[in-house]
Amino acid sequence: METMLIFVLSLMLIFGFVAFASKPSPVYGGLSLVVSGGLGCAIIVSLNSTFLGLIVFLIYLGGMLVVFGYTAAMATEEYPESWVDNMVAFSMLLLSLLMEMVWLMVSGEVEVVMAVELFDSLGNYCVGQDWNGVSLLYGCGGWAMVLLGWILFITILVVLEVIRGL
Amino acid sequence: MLSININLIIAFTLALIGVLIYRSHLISTLLCLEGIILSLFILITLLITHFHIFSISITPLILLVFSACEAGVGLALLVKISTTHGNDYVQNLNLLQC
Repeated sequence: METMLIFVLSLMLIFGFVAFASKPSPVYGGLSLVVSGGLGCAIIVSLNSTFLGLIVFLIYLGGMLVVFGYTAAMATEEYPESWVDNMVAFSMLLLSLLMEMVWLMVSGEVEVVMAVELFDSLGNYCVGQDWNGVSLLYGCGGWAMVLLGWILFITILVVLEVIRGL
Repeated sequence: MLSININLIIAFTLALIGVLIYRSHLISTLLCLEGIILSLFILITLLITHFHIFSISITPLILLVFSACEAGVGLALLVKISTTHGNDYVQNLNLLQC
């Protein structure tokens, strides 16, 4: 059961993606995107990349989707459309099932689990190295940090220009 | 190929179809765009973990920065449309007609 955990999580991620890609009312779409983000974080964390999972939860869900939630409050209607009688959702589920079957028939073997080794073939230590990888952004990638900060600053100015005169 | 990669590519394709098909609201399209970014983030992280290329661990962070900028500009446009027309229905955007 535990070896199938990552595969089952990715399967539930597909269901979550169907739930907002079939475009119900935006409130339900935002909710299913939050659930999909949580499942994606669970996939990443179960492969021992804890920093990137934390980034998904804090920055993606806690930063960007909160903004979407507040904006979706603008789009509330009296009878929000859910997934009942939604032909698009059903056909998306059929499409994903078809793609899985085609892939199963085309590829010979099925490799489900991704093992996380302690040392790789070169003898490097492998667990928890994504923290060290991200620290490169501050070290030799310092120019990237400055560039990203500048881009975010320019984006604020762009947004203020777009809503000028509001 | 690993099966979680196939599942994530299917999820990316579903969100891409969601961006391309218009239903009533415009904000649903922006949500599907965020879904595309999420599936790309998870795919890059799986690449990093599987092949032990921890040097590109900053790539998901850079992707999230650009996604935040894109979402901000998209929401600003949405707010402008919503104040002009009162709601964000796609059928209100009918100035260009053939």
